[in-house]
Amino acid sequence: MAKADKYYIERCLDGHPDDFRYLVRRYQGVLLAHLAGKLGNKNSAEEVAQETLVRAYFKMNNLEKRESFFPWLLGIGDRVAKEHQRKEQLRRQREVVRSYSEEVGSPELSQDYALEAAIAKLPEAYRRVVLLRYYGNCSCSQVAEQLDMPLGTVTKTLSRAYAMLRKTLEQQKQEEIYEVQK
Amino acid sequence: MNCAECKELLVAYVEQLLDKSQEKTVYEHVEKCQSCRAEASELKTLQERLVKNGKALSESGLEDKVLNQIIREQNVRLKSARKAGEGLNIRRIIMKSKITKAAAAAVIIFAVLIGINIFGGTVTFAKVAEQFLKARTVVYDFIIGDEENNPVIMHEIVVGPRIRRTISNLPGMTQIIDMETGKMLALNDVDKTAAYVNIKGVLQERTRGYIEFVRKVLMELKDSQKVVKLGEQEIEGRKAIGFSGRGNNNQELKIWADPKTAVPIRVELRLGQLLVVFKNFQFDEPIDDSQVSMEVPEGYKLEEAEIDFTKGTEEDFIKSLRVWAEVLLDGKFPDAIGTERYMKQMPLIGEKLAQSGLSKDEAEKLAMALPRGMFFLQLLEIDDKYHYAGKGVKLGEADKAIFWYRPKEAEKYRVIYGDLSVKEVSKENLPK
Repeated sequence: MAKADKYYIERCLDGHPDDFRYLVRRYQGVLLAHLAGKLGNKNSAEEVAQETLVRAYFKMNNLEKRESFFPWLLGIGDRVAKEHQRKEQLRRQREVVRSYSEEVGSPELSQDYALEAAIAKLPEAYRRVVLLRYYGNCSCSQVAEQLDMPLGTVTKTLSRAYAMLRKTLEQQKQEEIYEVQK
Repeated sequence: MNCAECKELLVAYVEQLLDKSQEKTVYEHVEKCQSCRAEASELKTLQERLVKNGKALSESGLEDKVLNQIIREQNVRLKSARKAGEGLNIRRIIMKSKITKAAAAAVIIFAVLIGINIFGGTVTFAKVAEQFLKARTVVYDFIIGDEENNPVIMHEIVVGPRIRRTISNLPGMTQIIDMETGKMLALNDVDKTAAYVNIKGVLQERTRGYIEFVRKVLMELKDSQKVVKLGEQEIEGRKAIGFSGRGNNNQELKIWADPKTAVPIRVELRLGQLLVVFKNFQFDEPIDDSQVSMEVPEGYKLEEAEIDFTKGTEEDFIKSLRVWAEVLLDGKFPDAIGTERYMKQMPLIGEKLAQSGLSKDEAEKLAMALPRGMFFLQLLEIDDKYHYAGKGVKLGEADKAIFWYRPKEAEKYRVIYGDLSVKEVSKENLPK
């Protein structure tokens, strides 16, 4: 996996931008899941994911360890997301200044926002494993290879991630019930 | 197998990672034990949910969108690279040269100098001033000169006495300045090098105690009567109320702020011939301390660099005119000069000198002429005390005056001619 990344990165740097396609295909799910939970809005997540991938393409030269494309990409994603949130915040403030009456529509959430939000809350190490396994279409042994850890550690990490996800999802549910009762 | 042991293995079981014998043991236990069965089924549900969501997201089809955008941006970049000489390859050359680091450092230092002047002896509205007073962090963009025409934009994050600055025409360079110690950390994000720069002499004196200085001035001005209200206007797409005032040294300051919250939106400062604009303010954004840390970041190699800016003499200025004309403009003097123009030349000079075949040492000396010359000019510029007439003049034309100014406390003017000779001239005999 990581080795294949390296190959495509070098192809891109050698002037074959079209090969970036493979990296996009491989990581779009991971990136979207990573961003959707943070941004809480499907359109924003897609917009930010696109910008992140484009920026990654133009910055690939700076990536010293070609094998670390995945964490590097998430890092860029985080920065673009932050910028996006700041811009959104400014835009909303401006809207408030311009017109007080205008209603802000509720954001369009993706199909399983609760799950994405729960993933966003996972600690970094756990989130990476979950993202690669389910959003990057990796088998557990591929995850192990990509993250350079023994398979046993992947399983253990995944077990704990499951427990955390369940807890968060349960809490969210409780809060929703509470909201409805109110 | 007991329940605790079973639960330990359930995720691996659901993920089908167990070997045959383990799988069998778990299976048999789950068949018998209701609680573990329930647990396994819940895990299975969550797993299906993850798989389903994962599948949906990984089939999002960003591919074409991303590639189209890359091609568009590539074209734009190529075009502007041809125009401004900032192509990827050129940028690489520039970033690797020490010259650019020095030039960038110069830009930074001068900008600091100007930055102080916003608050120096100028007048502002009490409530707007308060925003500056009480903010722990301030983020803004900062432009010298023309905003519309290819401006050089500096982005600054100010936390207490520390400033983090990036500059739009020197991508990949980051500077962190500590006002208290008069030290600057210059980071080159491209080749991962770091350098400390000492800001010595005059500059350090003027930069020290920045925040206390600002606070003191603003406190005094809170009760000042010298502020003129400009009324409401649309600024940066928002309703804003304006105030204008003149400082003791005749600096003209305009602040536009939100009429309800008094949060500043835009600050314009005119210092003689120099116009500086600050906008896109953000106050008290949470900023990670690492952003303004003076430590060399991990993975960066420390290089020694010490740049001396105590000088900035007429001689330096003349040298900068020579470099500008000879190296950048095929022997012609620039149409206009000034901080804005100098700043726009900084990346170009690095590139041109790198191609010139000069030794590194010579190239560096020549490149340093530009920021030093700018330093000399900037002090005249702020006081509005020079005249430039080099447009259309070629290097060597001894009969054409290109620049004149009157040094502090001098009676006569100094006139620089096209051959870069200098004469002292009395006021009546100045060129028209």
